[in-house]
Amino acid sequence: MSASGFDAAVDAGADADAAVDAGVIGGEAPAVEAAGLAKAYGDLVALHPLDLQVEAGQSVALIGHNGSGKSTFLRMAAALLEPTEGTVEVAGWPVGTLEARATTSFLPDDPVLYDDLSVREHVEYVSRLHGGDGWDGYATDLVERLGLADRVDDLPSRFSRGLRQKTSIVLGLVRPFSLLLVDEPFVGLDAGGRAAMLDLLDEVHGDGAAVVVATHDPGFVERVQRCVALRDGEVIFDGAAAAADVLRLVGA
Amino acid sequence: MRDDLPVPASVVADLRRARRRQRVAAIHWVDALYQVYITGIVAAGAVLALSTVVGDSRLDPAAIDRARASGPAVLGMVAALAIFVGLRSGSRGGPLAVEAADVRHVLLAPVDRGDALRAPALRQLRFAAFTAIAVGAAAGQFAGRRFEGNGAAWVACGAVFALCVAGLGLGAALVASGRRLPSWAATLAGGALVVWSVADVASDLVPAGPARTAGRIALWPLGFDPLGLVPIAVAAAVVAIGLAGVAGVSLEAAERRTSLVGQLRFAVTLQDLRTVLVLRRQLAADLPRSRPWLPSWRRPGRALFPVWQRGWRGVARWPAARLVRLVVLAVVAGFALRGAWTGTTPLIAVAGLALWVAALDAVEPLAQETDHPGRRDAVPLEEGRLMVRHLAVPAVVMTVVAAGAAGVSLAGGRSALEAEAAMTAVPPMALAAVAGAVSSVLMGAPKPFDELAVASPEIAGMRTAVRTVWPPLLAVGGVVPLLVARAAVESGRPVLDAAALSGAVVLGVALLVAAWVRYQSDIRAWWAAASEAAMKGGGATEAADAGGTP
Repeated sequence: MSASGFDAAVDAGADADAAVDAGVIGGEAPAVEAAGLAKAYGDLVALHPLDLQVEAGQSVALIGHNGSGKSTFLRMAAALLEPTEGTVEVAGWPVGTLEARATTSFLPDDPVLYDDLSVREHVEYVSRLHGGDGWDGYATDLVERLGLADRVDDLPSRFSRGLRQKTSIVLGLVRPFSLLLVDEPFVGLDAGGRAAMLDLLDEVHGDGAAVVVATHDPGFVERVQRCVALRDGEVIFDGAAAAADVLRLVGA
Repeated sequence: MRDDLPVPASVVADLRRARRRQRVAAIHWVDALYQVYITGIVAAGAVLALSTVVGDSRLDPAAIDRARASGPAVLGMVAALAIFVGLRSGSRGGPLAVEAADVRHVLLAPVDRGDALRAPALRQLRFAAFTAIAVGAAAGQFAGRRFEGNGAAWVACGAVFALCVAGLGLGAALVASGRRLPSWAATLAGGALVVWSVADVASDLVPAGPARTAGRIALWPLGFDPLGLVPIAVAAAVVAIGLAGVAGVSLEAAERRTSLVGQLRFAVTLQDLRTVLVLRRQLAADLPRSRPWLPSWRRPGRALFPVWQRGWRGVARWPAARLVRLVVLAVVAGFALRGAWTGTTPLIAVAGLALWVAALDAVEPLAQETDHPGRRDAVPLEEGRLMVRHLAVPAVVMTVVAAGAAGVSLAGGRSALEAEAAMTAVPPMALAAVAGAVSSVLMGAPKPFDELAVASPEIAGMRTAVRTVWPPLLAVGGVVPLLVARAAVESGRPVLDAAALSGAVVLGVALLVAAWVRYQSDIRAWWAAASEAAMKGGGATEAADAGGTP
């Protein structure tokens, strides 16, 4: 297996022990800790007060119907949304701080890319923004596995939805992180892309990163250690689950 | 923690430079020249029009004294408005509109957000400063032709005043955004300043507002007042504080703003007022309530008037901000009506525009049918019949708003004659405003390809001007009966007769607009068929002339 973004984080940090001690990379602090985390838009409650702790290195599936609060939670953990109440910390750091940003990689369900940068330029830029050296062997490996090797010099703004999603996956993984937040990872992906994505998620988790995936796919819960089911912004289940349990819980 | 944090922001600067180079390289010099040409024509036209309005005869000493006394307060109101707009914009994540991809990739990366955001903030400040200096200098030049003193001094002071106003507005926005000022606090603080400034203009009893000091700058050629230096220092300070705290911007607000502002600019370039309105509402989070103010009234069986019922259900979900906006617009229209009645005729434009803007909110149910033609066409009812039924609710809403405006204009105890004139003017004002708003909504954006698409910019510009001016002009026309009533009072004729007659003319125009709403699809279909027939006929004639078979 080639070096993942997690390995790159350890390399980039130079002093891995110090990083672990501080809890940024695989330390004792929980990967995500939400306390009374809630979100409302005016009179519409998107997420009821939620207490949730994801341990470092844990893999978690967030499941639930549309509007159940999965994406809201992930976006608050990624610092893209502001909580109406409560707090959320990443590896012991308040979300949005420099350290939390260095630790968290967010893979959204809506790929947001620059219009005038090619895939290669995107990768180089994002890597450098996170202290990396730009295009490297891991980037080459990622684009090959996701079927983008022939398109690295093309503009993703002209890609199909699925190819843009794949570009977004490359950007999410090519940088160092110890917490990966993924929102609906399989939307728009073909069978090959889906298989590659599943393998990549397993590898990232195997390398020690915590992975939190919001999905409608009941089968995915059997690949993770823990399943958190949300309904109307409230946790209705938290524990290990099988696909049949998920269907019973949320009818997904 | 990683010892290489934060990642140097030079990464961001390098990429921005490279992208700018690419963009500049992609611009063709002919395109650039053409843009300069169009900007030049528009600017020259605006200056010419303004100079015609302003005139260049010297003011008499009494007028100069009046300007010296009340000018700072009036100009201070402009500064207060700029601060109000800035605070409101800042509380919603403005004034910056960074790229969506920058929010996701740069602002979520471990780079110093301040370093990453200061460059776009400075660019925006530079552009605002340039525009302000140009506009202020032009205004100073106009003032210099009418007031005594050195023309160059007027130009310079106009530029400094405008620069100060721009600094106050943008600085307030940056501070509000960086400190995450809640929207209600921004509205309260900015609104209080505006109200104080308006009261300062309207009454001598109110203590001079703080914004008045900014107004002194523009009138320095009439006499230097060192107090004018205070707002300049304040503007510089708020800009500096805003730039220092720019990293505090809310990513949630930035992300919402960034996509909407891009669409908004595009819609403005297309002159698509409806899209601009919808996007502006989203930007201001001016969205329908989940729960209506009043519970829906349901009766078993078929609804007799479903379109009417649908309209009221929409109104019942208006957010508080929209209701407040309608009240404010009614008050503004009321004061403008009062001013027009007492002799300041141009204020009918302010009253008409305020009612037109209110009507743009009132015609929302009809506008939504236009937004979703597929849904509209799925209704088993002729398009015109459906659309014309949507006019009833806006007419009622606007009658209430216009009655409110008339009430405000009569506040403080007026004569029975004035009350008679104001109340007679309510129906035409309301219906003309609805007619104007409906025209705006139904016209939509110009089609990208039609017979005028290849016309010269001058002709296309003329059409744009007509399209832009016609709807508000209809609304302003609705206020004319009040002027007719005023003329009747001045000449001793019966007020009611004069107002009713002119009101009937306005109502006739509103009815014509309603008829257009009812039959526009039929007319368009007929026009398309006639054009096609004419084309075929033309082709046949050409073929016959050429001796061939059509």
